[in-house]
Amino acid sequence: MLRGKRKGPASVGDLQQIAWPVVVILMLVFFGGSFYMSVRISRKKENADGYMTGGGKIGFGISAASMTATWIWASSMYASATSGYQFGISGPIHYGLWGALMILLIYPFGKRIRAVAPNAHTIAEVMFARHGRSSQLMLAGSNVLGSLISLTSNLIAGGALISLLSPFTFTQGILAIGAGVLLYTLWSGFRSSVLTDFAQVIAMLGAVVIIVPVVFFAAGGPDLFEQGASNLTAEQANFFSSKAFFEQGAPYIAAVLAYAIGNQTIAQRLFAVREDLIKKTFVTATVGYGATIIGVGMLGVIALYAGIDPLGGDVNNLIPQMAATYLGPVLICLFFVMIIGSLSSTADSDLTALSSIMMADVYGQNVAGKRNANPKTMLLVGRVTMIVAVVAALCFASIQFSILDLLVFVGALWGALVFPVISSFYWNRVTNKAFTVSVLVALAAFLPVRFEWIDLSGGVGIVSDVFATIGIGVVLGLMAFGFFGLRTGLVIGIVASVASAPFAIGFLHAYPVLSGSLIAYGVSTIVCVAFTLASRAKRFDFDLIKERTGSFDTEAPAVETEGVVR
Amino acid sequence: MTLALTLYVLIWPVIVAGTLAVLVSAFVKDAREAKSKGEQII
Repeated sequence: MLRGKRKGPASVGDLQQIAWPVVVILMLVFFGGSFYMSVRISRKKENADGYMTGGGKIGFGISAASMTATWIWASSMYASATSGYQFGISGPIHYGLWGALMILLIYPFGKRIRAVAPNAHTIAEVMFARHGRSSQLMLAGSNVLGSLISLTSNLIAGGALISLLSPFTFTQGILAIGAGVLLYTLWSGFRSSVLTDFAQVIAMLGAVVIIVPVVFFAAGGPDLFEQGASNLTAEQANFFSSKAFFEQGAPYIAAVLAYAIGNQTIAQRLFAVREDLIKKTFVTATVGYGATIIGVGMLGVIALYAGIDPLGGDVNNLIPQMAATYLGPVLICLFFVMIIGSLSSTADSDLTALSSIMMADVYGQNVAGKRNANPKTMLLVGRVTMIVAVVAALCFASIQFSILDLLVFVGALWGALVFPVISSFYWNRVTNKAFTVSVLVALAAFLPVRFEWIDLSGGVGIVSDVFATIGIGVVLGLMAFGFFGLRTGLVIGIVASVASAPFAIGFLHAYPVLSGSLIAYGVSTIVCVAFTLASRAKRFDFDLIKERTGSFDTEAPAVETEGVVR
Repeated sequence: MTLALTLYVLIWPVIVAGTLAVLVSAFVKDAREAKSKGEQII
């Protein structure tokens, strides 16, 4: 079943591998099972709205499982373990907790978004109804880029895992995963994605429940913390490490709102779940995601205590290396399924996000127009988009295209969009001009700071810190506003900026990743508020959004009783 | 300290198990309701 020798943690040279017939069987069972589930709910004539959001009436169990599965991707498991390995015992918290907060933060805003646009499919579509084309295309464009990057990243993670733990090559791995995900997602779109997410989340969460304690005790159990304590620096052994906070936690906190608002995979589930179940769904997914990712991050902490060096010096090898070192044959197969499940569930969500953007935002709103959009053509657009997206992601993955800078750019774009998007749902004076100009100016301010194109010493650094300090207030103020309302949000925002100013000004520019993100928030907010207050345009009537967004396919889906999941 | 760190590592799989139980029971409930109405679960 397995090849290679199991060696001690300090001398891992060659990893044990899963024999090729076992890998083939695991892949067939995983993707074959997902395809079978997809067939069970498929319809000869799919409904265009169902293809994008499942009709907006999905129950708690499936939507919470889908939200959890979508947000857990292979890269987040690897990154949490890396954070544990690099920053010590607080590392997984500084990755997983803030990532979980991203899911939690969408629900207060999500309730408002669903109230003003109950039948929408994408937030970009709502922005078109609220403002017009430029706002919509900024959101839609960033979502296309973001989903393509995520898809590529998941394929790379899958290919790397398969080449590491099996005799198959990286290219064979990405081809198998790309084809497998496309197979079960293509026909029924979002409906297939959320149903298979349920099975995938069972596999992933079940694997975490078993694998983390098994690795812990195999590595030495509680004694490990005494014997391996000398392997940690003082910062790594400190739960309140400032290094971990500033280098991992703080940039991630700044990104929380950006990913919550900007990511179409979240928005799609927001429009899919039954409206009265939004809070329950997102709170459950927050707990599920947080515990899973922090739990997997503990493998990095265990590796640190055990004195393990990552294979080839690459921290991305840490998780497979821990599995191959400490798990027996059956559990290695379970681990394999866990990683394949995590990347497939996110990849199918990316495909459905991309297809819904092309269907609703590009074809539905900009090519055919809302009234003239043909549901059959929309479905064709969605399916062709999926095929093109998989081919593009395979090309990017096979040439090992560097996606890091692109990812940073998309994150910044989402950061710059946060205030204009949120305020557009609550403040009837925000205009398309205020929205568009604020995002572009914020991006222009972000780029030179984040990529250190300018020297941040002296006066420029101080100016950068001032805007970043305002950004701190914007982030915390918006979070408070979501949960506690306008007055609390304003008070928290102002107090946060004023209280942090003495420490942050003259200091923050030393952390360009954090500064760049905060500047995107701060500048977009200032510009958006200034343009809005200066505008004399007529105040917007939010009821118009309901009229301008909604179902494209008026034909009710025919239920085929043999397709009912029993 | 050793006990605290052990609990810190092992608490996460316990929380994950609890979440898993919630998700499975909710899915079963959704499936039963859909079946009783003669509808698809999605």
